[in-house]
Amino acid sequence: MANVNLKINGKAHSFDVEDRTLLVNLIRDHAQLTGTHVGCDTSQCGACTIHMNGVAVKSCTVLAGQADGADITTIEGLAKNGKLHPVQQAFTECHALQCGFCTPGMIMAVAGFLKDNPKPTDDEIYHGLEGNLCRCTGYINIVKAVKQASKAMSK
Amino acid sequence: MDTHEHHQLFNVGGAKVSRFEDIRLITGAGKYASDWNQPNQLHACFLRADRAHARIVSLNLDAAKRAKSVVSIYTGEDAQAAGYLRAPSFLPATGKGGKKPNVPQRPCLAIGKVCFVGDPVAMVVAESHLAAQDACELIEVVYEDLPAVVDPEEALKPGAPQLHDDVPGNCPMEAESGNEAATMQAIANAAHVVKLTVDCTRVTASPMEPRAALIEYKSETDSYVVHTPSQGVNMTRKQFGIYTQLPEEKFRVEIQDIGGGFGQRSTVYPEYVSMMIAAKALNRPIKWVSTRTESFLTDTHGRGNLITCTLALDNDARFTALRVDWITDQGAYLSPTGPAGHIRNATSCLNGVYKIPALYADFKVVLTNTGWVAAYRGAGRPDIAYAIERVVDAAAMELKMDPADLRRRNYVPLTEYPYKSATGNTIEIADLPGLSAKALNLADWSGFAVRKAASAKKGKLRGIGMSTVIEPTGAGQYPRDEIDISVDGASGDIIVHTVSQSQGQGHVTSFAMVVGNALGIPAERVKIIQGDPERAPKMVGNHSGGSRTMVGAGTVCHIAANKLIDAGKSLAAEDLGVEPSQVNYCKGEFSSPHSKKKITLAQLASSKKLAVTGEGTFTSTYPNGCHIAEVEVDPDTGVTDIVSYMSVDDCGHVVSHTIVEGQMHGAVLQGYGQVFGEHIVYDKDSGQMITGSFMDYVMPRAGQLPDIHMEEYTIYSKLGPLGIKGMGESGCTASLPALVAAVTNAIGVKHLDMPLTPSKVWKTLQANKA
Repeated sequence: MANVNLKINGKAHSFDVEDRTLLVNLIRDHAQLTGTHVGCDTSQCGACTIHMNGVAVKSCTVLAGQADGADITTIEGLAKNGKLHPVQQAFTECHALQCGFCTPGMIMAVAGFLKDNPKPTDDEIYHGLEGNLCRCTGYINIVKAVKQASKAMSK
Repeated sequence: MDTHEHHQLFNVGGAKVSRFEDIRLITGAGKYASDWNQPNQLHACFLRADRAHARIVSLNLDAAKRAKSVVSIYTGEDAQAAGYLRAPSFLPATGKGGKKPNVPQRPCLAIGKVCFVGDPVAMVVAESHLAAQDACELIEVVYEDLPAVVDPEEALKPGAPQLHDDVPGNCPMEAESGNEAATMQAIANAAHVVKLTVDCTRVTASPMEPRAALIEYKSETDSYVVHTPSQGVNMTRKQFGIYTQLPEEKFRVEIQDIGGGFGQRSTVYPEYVSMMIAAKALNRPIKWVSTRTESFLTDTHGRGNLITCTLALDNDARFTALRVDWITDQGAYLSPTGPAGHIRNATSCLNGVYKIPALYADFKVVLTNTGWVAAYRGAGRPDIAYAIERVVDAAAMELKMDPADLRRRNYVPLTEYPYKSATGNTIEIADLPGLSAKALNLADWSGFAVRKAASAKKGKLRGIGMSTVIEPTGAGQYPRDEIDISVDGASGDIIVHTVSQSQGQGHVTSFAMVVGNALGIPAERVKIIQGDPERAPKMVGNHSGGSRTMVGAGTVCHIAANKLIDAGKSLAAEDLGVEPSQVNYCKGEFSSPHSKKKITLAQLASSKKLAVTGEGTFTSTYPNGCHIAEVEVDPDTGVTDIVSYMSVDDCGHVVSHTIVEGQMHGAVLQGYGQVFGEHIVYDKDSGQMITGSFMDYVMPRAGQLPDIHMEEYTIYSKLGPLGIKGMGESGCTASLPALVAAVTNAIGVKHLDMPLTPSKVWKTLQANKA
């Protein structure tokens, strides 16, 4: 068993978990934050994307133990003081989600990506979204949302 | 009208949103199947067949039973004892020659033999998911391998391995439609006959949410509470009832959000009924969450149809007959929606959009040692459209005609609608001559040669392809669609209940728009409740599938809202002191020229019960469209880029342009996925799935289809008061033939089977050079 101390969305937690526990399972099953999703077993779909120490990572590819001492932000912690994050706002305004299952991971990935590259070109957006699968939207409106969020955040 | 101009935003608690569903989904507050938990729940894990066809000689559970945290293990013996042996399958009652179909058993856990890789052999129930998974690995199975067959044509041959004793020849049924003698005679007398076989490849729906279930047993009522992704709670309850032979009343289905459907959620799977056995025996809730690997192996697949078209033409290139020979690979067992959907939907539009005097189709339903197949976004509609459009293009190539000219010569003219096809199906209305002319003009079809030459200068092969398609949407399995509508006495909100179920289509928004519009109030004041577990069992209505929901339940929202106004007038008459006939209603308020008083919906409902049920029954509506794709192929790499994609569609009255546009984007990209990469492949010798993960199964990604230029060509349907035609699937139907036509045009071949991967395109180009 491993004792993992970490902060999730600003709140300190301490969990005893099996050594093989993945960070995504710690978040979903132990911290009971089910906004972070699991869509595959091969780190391909990106539905589990969260921010670990400010960097977007796939939480299915991190052992819970590796997150000891980390500062985690999940989709539940992205809106601040009841105000949606610009990426969240852009996703709804551009109709960039349908079933919503990939959406938390997609939003966390885009929020991370725009930190590194606030004004991406189309090709950079496509590259930035490569690790996140969506089955509903055809990505066209997701790309629009990335552009709209980029604009909103540069204001 | 370009839909981009119509994007409407709503105000929810100060936030601007496209849909009322969105706030919870973008903040992590959605609740999908794996998000349901119960205190004291146990976890299930399934041991699955690691081979395609084998007898189970013995199962040794001893070590697994002794493993830590394991509570119990269930096998085929438990399936036999429970009698959970036959999955529901909604087949036609009789097939060709009046023969009854042979439906194979599908025990919820394998009894004596396994028939495909992934067939569940045992279910371990443990205190944790990991413990259940560990224990599965301790089960020892001794198999006696049997020869396997994964190719449907091989499976039909004499001497092929036989999957089920009760299905001779691996053929559960053969069906037919149209007139064989008339068709064969027309083919014999034709000036030209064009024959083409196309593989409408096996793919998988891959909604992003893997399957999951939480099953609770209620001992006091000997009943079950089920949480699992569904396309409609009543269809799910019905299938549970058929599988277990228990009354539907024994199932309470509680769901909130569904992470995509595309037909894959229209099946009650064997895992769920296996879990019922454990839930009852142990009297504890049982939870199971599928891995993506299990999804690939055991979710229902889609398409998987080998279709041969024989098209007869006269000297004027007019179609005189079409014969379709259709082999539909259904995998190892029959799913609820697999064979019926493919036969019915293909029969409905066997003439495509063309005037063809003689039609005949023969459908062979085949079993193979592969995963089972069900409805997938279109369920036979994309398949038949693909086959017809490909043979029409092949005919144009053979006759050295412009594909647009050949089509124009053969469209059913507007004046001949309603058009009764040679299969006896009546199609309400479509205007392909007008619609396709608009599309060809927008795409500058006639100016293509100039663009092709410009691409050639860059060393690229440019191609253009079109499709003109139609499909049936709207008809359902239930006798009618009902909507319960009421006004909440406390808040004045309009409460609407439906048994349809969005899996991402946004019904909570589009239904609210219909009701808001009918009542003259903001959609924000209308609350849509889907599949309420208390109310749904008392309501009649279809699940969401077959692009039927806006045609059916959506239209009934309008009918119900108007009925609510009428009921309100009667009640308001008392308060206003006038006769009901003297009451007017406008924008949420009742008034009368004979009274000084006015009363709002909310005021009325605060003292009186204002609630009605609306209903309607709808036959098929026929959305139709023309899609034109232009591509550039790099001859050095075989890579195809989409240069432009144009769609002109008639889906009747559009409630939400935003949602329709989103549906079209998603459906066209699913078509793109099948055309350029997605393909479920089994190894011919071992029967192992080669494409069992997102590493091997090529899901489309951002940027591959950068934009779609969408336009509408609207003809209202007269089958319902709103004039709606379904459109959730039409993007798949139109994109398959348009994209394949563009690539084959670019590389100068008559046909090439999907997927058009760079290596296949490159090899074809090399072979043509030689």
